[in-house]
Amino acid sequence: MSELKVAVIGGGIAGLSAAYFLAKSGAEVEVFEQRYLLYGASGRNSGGLTVQFNDEELIKLALRSLDLYDELQSEVKFNFLLRKDGYLKIANKNDEAKLESEASLLKKFGVKIEILNQNEVKELVPDINTKAFDLAYYFSKGGTVFPWPVIWGLARGCKALGVKVYDYTPATVVVENGSVKGVQTLDGLHKADFVINAAGAWSNEVSKSAGVELDNKIFKENICVTESLRPYLDPYIFDVSNNAYLSQSMRGEIVGGVVGREIDQIDKKGELDPLIRYAKFATNLIPKLKGLSVLRQWVGVYDLGKNGKPVIGFTKVKGFVQLNGFGRHGMSLGLAAGEKVAEMVLKK
Amino acid sequence: MKDRKVVCRCEDLTEEDIIKAIEEGYDDLESLKRYTGATTGPCQGKGCLMHLIRILSQKTGKKPEEIGVTTQRQPVNPVPLYVLAEGEYE
Ligand SMILES: Cc1cc2nc3c(=O)[nH]c(=O)nc-3n(C[C@H](O)[C@H](O)[C@H](O)COP(=O)(O)OP(=O)(O)OC[C@H]3O[C@@H](n4cnc5c(N)ncnc54)[C@H](O)[C@@H]3O)c2cc1C
Repeated sequence: MSELKVAVIGGGIAGLSAAYFLAKSGAEVEVFEQRYLLYGASGRNSGGLTVQFNDEELIKLALRSLDLYDELQSEVKFNFLLRKDGYLKIANKNDEAKLESEASLLKKFGVKIEILNQNEVKELVPDINTKAFDLAYYFSKGGTVFPWPVIWGLARGCKALGVKVYDYTPATVVVENGSVKGVQTLDGLHKADFVINAAGAWSNEVSKSAGVELDNKIFKENICVTESLRPYLDPYIFDVSNNAYLSQSMRGEIVGGVVGREIDQIDKKGELDPLIRYAKFATNLIPKLKGLSVLRQWVGVYDLGKNGKPVIGFTKVKGFVQLNGFGRHGMSLGLAAGEKVAEMVLKK
Repeated sequence: MKDRKVVCRCEDLTEEDIIKAIEEGYDDLESLKRYTGATTGPCQGKGCLMHLIRILSQKTGKKPEEIGVTTQRQPVNPVPLYVLAEGEYE
């Protein structure tokens, strides 16, 4: 068999993971990133890692991803600044059914979600205002990862395996007689047997260039960081009822925001409203944070499959593969999804 | 001890730190900023951005115009959470 050639569009967690696993099995891989690595959602997120989902496929991907973080970190010799200090979902009574069904589904996978009472939460998060929520569902093996070293580490691992990673190189798909021929960039045609669409919020357009309808929903999310505090906040906290979250990064900053909203067209302008809503949430939940200053706010965009799930797999165009639609959970799912797509392509 | 040429006081980075990062391949401004942390501390680049551009230009031979500048993020100056929490939305 002659060497398998694969082109990956998108240098985020999904694309780089697929590229890494393909190259590890001997494929010849090129990755195309329209701007710089970290330009997409993988460079702009809050790095919360959990398996608390209401869907078996997502749970499988999330469990596998947690293992892959450990494996890859040592394989590519790059510190991902990963802290498995837990992932805490809080909510008010109205959302009990949702949290319960996640927890019972996870039981089937042998994963234990602890339901904490107010005192137990206080032990975990000193200074938390226990009046701010009714319920707390805790996954002790979840945590927080710093997204940047994940991407740099994957890119470094890819390059060590001979993958070419082109930055500032937008690409479109070239199709002939129902099969991919490769990708087109400003410097010409790069031939490939498979083209993987891992373009995040831009996946709809990439798919269109291949003549395949995708229709992922696009979301815009504002997020901010404060000045650094000494490390004190262990778990990543996600408030299901207020759709807001915060955690402490390895640099000591408090990172947080409110969950994004659907938009028609990609725009990355920072907005004040979500920042105000976040400040109300954060100061109510942990009043001690009141005096902390926000240093920086930014926006990230991500895509979600139209059925609310990631889009992973082959299409009607031979050799054109989707790997997108991860919504707000690409850091939790992306590594395993990339591995899965690599396996699918290698089997074909 | 050798003289240290401090480029970024917030993140305590010297000129050598920046050069080393460029040599490791983080040789565009956006990647250099993120890899070193320069421009992301309390001053948000007010003190260091021009140095970064100068060093990048010297090392890569690119003109400052080609290198560009990083996005200036809001807020312009740090704002405490309790002040923001007094705001109204929608
Ligand atoms: C504020 C915020 C907070 C988040 N918090 C979390 C969290 O706590 N936990 C979690 O699991 N997830 C979180 N997410 C979601 C997560 O960041 C995404 O799901 C994930 O990064 C998606 O990865 P990706 O590789 O699919 O896409 P991306 O990282 O967006 O990568 C796609 C890349 O493709 C490139 N591209 C697009 N079009 C082209 C083209 N034509 N040619 C070449 N390149 C192209 C883009 O420039 C981009 O770099 C958050 C997202 C945001 C914005």
